[in-house]
Amino acid sequence: MVTTQAISVQAVSKIYPGGVHALADVSLEVRQGEWIAIMGPSGSGKTTLLSILNGLDKPTSGQIHVLGTDTHGFGPDDWAVFRRENIGLVFQQFHLIPYLTAVENVMLAQYYHSMPVREQALAALERVQLAGRAHHLPSQLSGGEQQRVCIARALINDPKVVLADEPTGNLDEENEARVLDVFRSLHAEGKTLVVVTHDPEIGCAGERIVALSHGKVSKDTRTAEGERLLSARAVTGEVREHLR
Amino acid sequence: MLSRILLDSLTRRLSRKALSVVAVWIGLTLVLALLSLSVDVGDKMNLELRSFGANITVEPLASAIPVDVGGHRLAAEAVPSYLDEAELLKLKAITFFWRNNILGVAPRIRAAGQAKGQDVDLVGVWFDQPVATGSEPLVTGARQVYTHWAVQGAWPTRAEECLVGSAAARRLALAPGDTLALAVGREQLTLKVTGILTSGDKDDGSIIAPLSAVQGLVHAPGKVSSADVSALTTPDNKLAEKYRQDPKALTPDEYDRWYCTPYPGAVAKQVQELIPGSAARVVRRVSETQGMVFSRTKGLIVLLAALTFVVCSLSVTGILTAAVLERRPEMALLQAIGARRADVLVLFLAEMAILGIAGGVLAALTGPLLGRWLVSLVFGSTAELHLAVVLVAPFLGLGLAWAGGLWPVWQAVNQDAAQVLHGN
Repeated sequence: MVTTQAISVQAVSKIYPGGVHALADVSLEVRQGEWIAIMGPSGSGKTTLLSILNGLDKPTSGQIHVLGTDTHGFGPDDWAVFRRENIGLVFQQFHLIPYLTAVENVMLAQYYHSMPVREQALAALERVQLAGRAHHLPSQLSGGEQQRVCIARALINDPKVVLADEPTGNLDEENEARVLDVFRSLHAEGKTLVVVTHDPEIGCAGERIVALSHGKVSKDTRTAEGERLLSARAVTGEVREHLR
Repeated sequence: MLSRILLDSLTRRLSRKALSVVAVWIGLTLVLALLSLSVDVGDKMNLELRSFGANITVEPLASAIPVDVGGHRLAAEAVPSYLDEAELLKLKAITFFWRNNILGVAPRIRAAGQAKGQDVDLVGVWFDQPVATGSEPLVTGARQVYTHWAVQGAWPTRAEECLVGSAAARRLALAPGDTLALAVGREQLTLKVTGILTSGDKDDGSIIAPLSAVQGLVHAPGKVSSADVSALTTPDNKLAEKYRQDPKALTPDEYDRWYCTPYPGAVAKQVQELIPGSAARVVRRVSETQGMVFSRTKGLIVLLAALTFVVCSLSVTGILTAAVLERRPEMALLQAIGARRADVLVLFLAEMAILGIAGGVLAALTGPLLGRWLVSLVFGSTAELHLAVVLVAPFLGLGLAWAGGLWPVWQAVNQDAAQVLHGN
């Protein structure tokens, strides 16, 4: 069966030790190729939801399907294998290995996926306009450059889903624009993007904004861009129907 | 990529890496020193325990087998039989497999005589007999074998000198410097008493004279009644016990193993095979005491080595726990980009292996030296450098590092990666 859902979250709750309810009965569907933003105030459960979607955290209850795969019963190693095949992660703090150069940091993801190929890693850096800084250590790169290395690392294995946690949280406007451009091109290629952000500009760049409050989905709205794309898709569908 | 990560990781935070290596080095030095000591303790303690006396007695076969005549058992003394003195020299001959284990030989010839109108037991022995061994000169005899003998006065150095047992000296009112006229049958011999012997056994009631002098009195030149042999042996184990219970119960392989191991029984059997017409038996009191002391001492040293290993692995755990804690974000990241726990574990264990082997190599240099010093301190003699202890050191270093590092790394790879990546 061909599924059009990239991510399906069914009644997911997360209760941390001590009884803190981070997520309460959250349900969410993300279509393949869709770009959604998860927004909300601090402590609303955005990051917890993203950690559950990427398998670094486990829900207390509920079900998660990613790319049609039921992840219920996945252990840490199952998730590791699933992530390296299907998911690219972008972190707010970049998390680059400090003693590896930019290109080596990208190749590290290749190493655990298949085999490191320097040319491919350089091409990934070229895509985020960092080919000239490939042999610099993270300490020699600006925050924006480190974030782009992080994005190149997330993309190197050609994931179908990219999960980003506050990707522009530590960046200036110029770098934020560059990151946004990369996300737009990913979206245009048909990647599924889930971006946790506080930034309305980033949020509005996607198709939908899912707002969380106190661990619950308080609002799920389509952005202007989303409406435009929806109309475009509808028109495309009518034309196809007409041609048939 | 793995080697690149390893190399970079090893060359960063050198002080912490050096601390890990030093911890393994010091710990293993102690472990290896104790292992060296445990290897040497057998030979050294056997040498020390020679004061218990000989552990094998060789007698003529005829003396060892009870003889019944018309329903009457004849005592061995009633049927005098002898071994050839010259045959005893074979024990140190190059053709005898256990020649290096034979530490000393003390042949004896017994005779009943009279002195000062009283019956006396006369024992002929070697006092200090040079024996040609083919490799190095050996002087053996009562003085070397019966190290528990205490002599008040001087040991005899000439053919016409003797020792008198303490009980016999009291009975015969003899003191060092006195002259003693002995009679055996029609033969007469005058000896000068050089010392009074206290042995704690029946020799205290005897006159101890040079072997050749007594051989002359009993007209048995070149003959001996028995010989006490001091041999380096290994304590009996289950295999030796099985042979003692029933030699036929051993399989051919077991028998070969028993025969080629210096158990007291195996050495005695081969001594018996070497000397025609002899029966060699193990002096169980001596060999078992030696074996017990040796086993317990060796066991204690090995236990100490094991405890030292455990304590060192705990200290390594402490050092590596701190190192691993620092690198939790790195481990979490590796898992986030697709490394399984085993992948991360392998990476960190490889790093620890390099540190452990480095510490092991250093300990291979210092451990045996410390062991030699311990041997010289405890036994007052030098010890050999044991190649096996040197070769095993890097592997022990590897084991120590892994034993110390496995737990903190395993804890770290099972951490909540999401929390770590968020800086919690």
